[in-house]
Amino acid sequence: MRLATSLSLSLVIALLSCGGAGPEPTAPAVDEVLDRLLVYTVNYPLAYFAARLGGDHVEVVFPAPPGEDPAFWSPDPETIAAYQGADVILLNGAGYAKWVERATLPSSKLVDTSAGFEDRYIELTGTVTHSHGPEGDHEHGGWAFTTWLDLNLAVEQARSVADSLSSKIPTAAAEIEERFTSLETDLMALDARFAAAAETIGSEPLLFSHPVYQYFIHHYELNGHEIHWEPDVEPDGKMWSELAHIQDHNTARWMLWEGDPLETSVASLDERGISSVVFSPCANPPEEDDWMTVMTANAEALETIAATHR
Amino acid sequence: MTDVLFLAWRYLAHNRIKTVVLVGSIMLIVYLPVALRVLVTQSATELTSRAEATPLLVGAKGSPLELALSSLYFSADTPELTTHAEASRIASTGYAQAIPLYVRFKARSQPIVGTTLDYFDFRGLRFVEGRNMAMLGECVLGSRAAKILEAGVGGSVVSSPESVFDIAGVYPLKMQVVGVLEPTFTADDEAVFVDLKTAWIVQGLVHGHQDMAAPEAAPGVLAREGDTIIANASVVQFTEITPDNIDSFHFHGSVDDYPISAVIAVPHDQKSGTILMGRYEAPDEPMQILKPTTVIDDLLGTIFTVQNFVVAGMLLVGVAALATASLVFVLSLRLRQREIETMARIGGSKMRVAGVLVAEVAVVIGMSVFLAGILTVLTARFAPAVVRVLLLQ
Repeated sequence: MRLATSLSLSLVIALLSCGGAGPEPTAPAVDEVLDRLLVYTVNYPLAYFAARLGGDHVEVVFPAPPGEDPAFWSPDPETIAAYQGADVILLNGAGYAKWVERATLPSSKLVDTSAGFEDRYIELTGTVTHSHGPEGDHEHGGWAFTTWLDLNLAVEQARSVADSLSSKIPTAAAEIEERFTSLETDLMALDARFAAAAETIGSEPLLFSHPVYQYFIHHYELNGHEIHWEPDVEPDGKMWSELAHIQDHNTARWMLWEGDPLETSVASLDERGISSVVFSPCANPPEEDDWMTVMTANAEALETIAATHR
Repeated sequence: MTDVLFLAWRYLAHNRIKTVVLVGSIMLIVYLPVALRVLVTQSATELTSRAEATPLLVGAKGSPLELALSSLYFSADTPELTTHAEASRIASTGYAQAIPLYVRFKARSQPIVGTTLDYFDFRGLRFVEGRNMAMLGECVLGSRAAKILEAGVGGSVVSSPESVFDIAGVYPLKMQVVGVLEPTFTADDEAVFVDLKTAWIVQGLVHGHQDMAAPEAAPGVLAREGDTIIANASVVQFTEITPDNIDSFHFHGSVDDYPISAVIAVPHDQKSGTILMGRYEAPDEPMQILKPTTVIDDLLGTIFTVQNFVVAGMLLVGVAALATASLVFVLSLRLRQREIETMARIGGSKMRVAGVLVAEVAVVIGMSVFLAGILTVLTARFAPAVVRVLLLQ
């Protein structure tokens, strides 16, 4: 009996050691060595930061088509699949790129670059609150999201990008840190120009063509009023009426456009005593040069306004 | 020696029925306890391998067994729920990767598992067809779930209400199937995987409905007070997410306040795991952290205790059966007295005659053990499949 049992057990053990279930999958190695980090971003400023900080260590992809506003663009499933394949996905936060909420992205790869200053988000006013059913009131509102136009916040976002890249490529951490210092210096120099021009402008009212300048207006303490005009669309009669209504209590001499306005719009504004200047948020890649060049042009635009201050 | 074996064999062959009964009885006596042990060991291996591949589980305090069974096998009742903040908390420690799970709803008989894409990497799940979910309302089916729900890529599955009496509850959500997984012979084969956010839509926490400010929503508006619109229950909520209405789906409040059933914590190293566990040791800590292997080992301990009783019972039956078999041999010797005397008269020595009788017994036992061995080999060969089917059911 003992012999028989031993024999059977031996056979069983031999068989089990040969076949049976395959090995259970294990967690992916966290410290996996990556040759070239694939970084996807939701807007161009973050793509610029990542490319400048990562240098040759990263491949940066910002897949929104030219002409689409990345804040309101919705990628197709194939593009989302490409995002899923990235090593790092840089988010702007503050509700920027609403599609992120409705897409399935790997949480371990997401980096919310504005998470460090959530308490400084600017809440949008005039949002609709509604209630239905047992859950009670709720709002479909949100936050202003063009955070990088406050260059101090842009530095914090760049810091977040640098930290995430360094954690993924520890061997390049020193190089990334060096590049961050350089970027921070450039941003702070621009910030100083913005601040100096804004100080000269003081409380003089300014018109902004689009409601995306909240952080810029707030940080540089400008007396800005945002309307909703598209630079490539001829304003209609209602819009001119609204402008006339604004001019009843607002003596703005300058309109800051997010893109090159139509010549007819510029001429019509001139007739109303309002000059036009472009101050681009640069959420999309410019046709020429890069984000820093556009921001430098923005500083020059602001200095132009300051130079005419009465 | 050959002549002894020849005579023994001829005797057994002549008394075929008696031989078959003896061989069958002894074979079963040997086979049954061994087969039981093989099956139980295989079950334990299957259960343990899943637990071993899951380093740590975090959930609200309650039954550790429910938490483990729900998170590992998507079975048992839904454990006490926690919030997504717990996953954020674990991730923010930097000690572990946090993979949230929300196992609560079903599509017919199949569990809907709300999770993140990290789960697929963590379990090493691969696609036999289609792609991973990319948008709200998309789902990926385990191999058996696809068969049971009779759905494939391009098809759809519908979530089931938690209770048939919940007529005021949320509407079932029609989910588009975008991928089917390769079989893994684990609980993942049974699951309907969705993004956590889709699971919250199934629950009605995230929803899409008519634009309340739009003219077509006017019949559902009870009152407008400034920026506040109060609507009645007739507001049309969407039960399927399409490209046309996906933009209307929205969250209320912070995602961190939304429910999940557990978090799989994958520590970056052993030290990180130990530190993380230490963080849940405070007496006022409302969460529990557990090693699934510990819980499953406890469960297996119970199973093995029961198994030992069964094996002991079988051994007693076996001893009784062997005693009966021995009696059959002894009685057959008395019946064969004349045959034995004949062998002695034709020149067979006492040793030779005894040898023939011993050989008969040895051949019967040898054949029994041999057949028991074959059956055991077959059992071991097919035990994984049998156990997986039994466990999955």
